[in-house]
Amino acid sequence: MGIVFTRMFSSLFGNQEARILVLGLDNAGKTTILYRLQMGEVVSTIPTIGFNVETVQYNNIKFQVWDLGGQTSIRPYWRCYFPNTQAIIYVVDSSDTDRLVTAKDEFHAILEEEELKGAVVLIFANKQDLPGALDDAAVTEALELHKIKNRQWSIFKTSALKGEGIFEGLDWLSNTLKSGGG
Amino acid sequence: MFSLFYGLWKYIFSKTEFHVLILGIDKAGKTTLLEKLKALYSNLEGLPPDRIVPTVGLNIGRIEASKTKLIFWDLGGQVGLRTIWEKYYEEAHAVIYVIDASCPSRFEDSKSALEKVLRHPDLQGAPLLILANKQDIDGAVSSSELARYLDLKELDERLYMFEGVSAYDGTKIKDCIDWLVEVMERSKRTDRLRARAGVAGSLNV
Repeated sequence: MGIVFTRMFSSLFGNQEARILVLGLDNAGKTTILYRLQMGEVVSTIPTIGFNVETVQYNNIKFQVWDLGGQTSIRPYWRCYFPNTQAIIYVVDSSDTDRLVTAKDEFHAILEEEELKGAVVLIFANKQDLPGALDDAAVTEALELHKIKNRQWSIFKTSALKGEGIFEGLDWLSNTLKSGGG
Repeated sequence: MFSLFYGLWKYIFSKTEFHVLILGIDKAGKTTLLEKLKALYSNLEGLPPDRIVPTVGLNIGRIEASKTKLIFWDLGGQVGLRTIWEKYYEEAHAVIYVIDASCPSRFEDSKSALEKVLRHPDLQGAPLLILANKQDIDGAVSSSELARYLDLKELDERLYMFEGVSAYDGTKIKDCIDWLVEVMERSKRTDRLRARAGVAGSLNV
C-alpha cells in the first residue's frame, strides 16, 4: 500500500529515475562530460580505470550516470553494467578519424546486447572545439547510425571543454524517456 | 519441419506490421505529427509541441490502428541529415511527406527533396501521403493549392493522396491514417515486402 502511494506521489510530482551508461573509446571525453553534467565545469581527468558514477538531476529526471573506462583491455567489463539501463550516451572523439572504425565496431557490438535492447541511444560527436573535427552528419555516416531501425537515436555536436551541446542532448534524452522511450 | 509450419503459421496469422516513414524538410512538423499519433492511438501522452526540439536522428512511434500495427520512423530533415533517409527506404511500406503549408518560401526546397525521394528505386510503389501541415495557422495554403504548386510528375503508378492537416491540433489526422492503412493493405509493395520477410524468416529459424 505504501508502495502504491509512493509510486503515485513520484509520478505526480516528478522524479523519474533513469540509469544511463556513458560509453566510448578511451580518450573520447566521457569523464569530462560526466563532470560537465554534474558540476558544470571542466575538471582535469586521468584515464578512467574502472568507473565513475554521479547523480544528475535534470528536467525532473534523476539521472544516474555511469562513466566506464574505455581502454581496450577493460571494454569487456562494460557488459557487467548493462542490466536495467534506460539509455546509452556514446561519446566519440570527432577529431580522431583514424579510430572511428573502431568506435563504430564497438558501438554496434553494444547495440547487439540483449540487455540493452530497450535502451535509447544518444551519440555525442565530441571535441568539436578541435580543428578537423567531423560534424554530426559525417559522424552519423562513419558510425553507420542508419543501421539502427528499432530504437530511437539522436546525435549532438558537443564540446565538453566549452560546455556546448551536452545539455541539448540531455533535453532530448529526458523528453524521449518521458514520452515512453524506444 | 516444425519451423516450416511455424513460419507458415506466422505468415498467415500474425498481425501485419507496417513501417511508415515520416519525411520532409526541417520545421515541417514531422515530430509533432509523430507525437500526435502517439497521443491519438496509444495510451502514451506524446510530447506537447512546445517541448519538441529539432530531430537529429530517428524517432520511433509504435501504434495500433484498424487492427494493424504501425511503426513510424521520423527522421531529421535538416539538409546534412537527409542523406540517411534512403537507408530506411527498403523496409518502408509507405511514406508520409510533411510540408509546412504556411511557409511558401520553402516550398521549392520541399518540392526538390520530395522529387528526390520519389525517384529512388528502393521506394518503388510505396504509397505516398502528402500532408499540407499547419492548417491551424492563418494563411496556410490548402492541399489542392499545394498539389498544384508541387506539380509532381512521378506519381502516375503510385497510390497517393494530398491532405490538409494540423499535427498541432490533430485535424484530419485520423482520416489520413485510415487511408494509409487501407492502401498499404492492398499495395503490391506490401506483398513484395511480406514475401521477402517470409522467405528470410523461414531461412532463419
